[in-house]
Amino acid sequence: MDPREALDELGTIRLLMERSALYRRALSPICLAIGVLGTVAAAIPQLAVINGAKGFAGWWLGTAALALALAFTIARRQAMGAAEAFWSPPTRRVTEAVLPPLAAGALLAVPFLLGEDWALRVTWLLPALWMILYGCALHAAGFFMRRGIRLFGWTYILGGSGLLLWWTCPLNQFPPVAHSHLAMGLGFGGGHLAYGLYLHFTEKDA
Amino acid sequence: MNPEPFLQLDRVIHEKVRLAIMSMLAASPDLSFTELRETLHLTDGNLTSHLRTLQESGYLAVTKAYQDSRPLTTCSLTPSGRKAFADHLGRLEEIVRQARLIP
Repeated sequence: MDPREALDELGTIRLLMERSALYRRALSPICLAIGVLGTVAAAIPQLAVINGAKGFAGWWLGTAALALALAFTIARRQAMGAAEAFWSPPTRRVTEAVLPPLAAGALLAVPFLLGEDWALRVTWLLPALWMILYGCALHAAGFFMRRGIRLFGWTYILGGSGLLLWWTCPLNQFPPVAHSHLAMGLGFGGGHLAYGLYLHFTEKDA
Repeated sequence: MNPEPFLQLDRVIHEKVRLAIMSMLAASPDLSFTELRETLHLTDGNLTSHLRTLQESGYLAVTKAYQDSRPLTTCSLTPSGRKAFADHLGRLEEIVRQARLIP
């Protein structure tokens, strides 16, 4: 065997090993569904007033739980349609990668749900911190996915940090809860819709 | 150049498609028949034939089950399959290493 042939073969082996370890489910339906859910969830509090730290945290934690359930249902349907196991090693890796930041985001909401005094004054912190943590989750998952998930994660990290800086700027007054709902709708609803549409037109079968 | 690593290459694994199947399974505890077929762009018949060869050599375990009333065939490497794959990689690396030693 020619050494160059052996080197090419090693390259092919490496490529195939990397490919088999990647999460291959189509992401555009998941992103679009989460985007619609996020937008609707941000619009409802404008009509039926959901104010206060407890209301805000509860409302968006419920929406997040629904979004997770939706994502899992769509991924499971895709796996069934392709006659593949849902709980595959790549799915496990992605789940394990996103779990710590998502769990931190959920735990962060606990004092707000309990209606602690200090929490009432800093409800506006939640959207920014959730965006940063969600960005970290996407970035971690991006190591096991082929798309630009890490870049999408960075947009949340930078967006959340920007929001935090903007709202803590001494020139600005701390925003009302309605603005926090708006930030959630734009960040999570709008962000997923935009990325879902981008993937819809660019995503090819694995 | 020492011809030994080349002579020791496992003929079962060395075939292009079977090497691809082994590579994918080496990176994942198991993969479904569909995943292998789609990723490697093979026909059902072609993939089945190569899987059978690997199975007969004791390198591959095939599990047939049902998921939501649909048949689900999954493949995984046996311990001897993992060892054979690791040995094959070692030999390929040895061939490359020897070539680098030659001025």
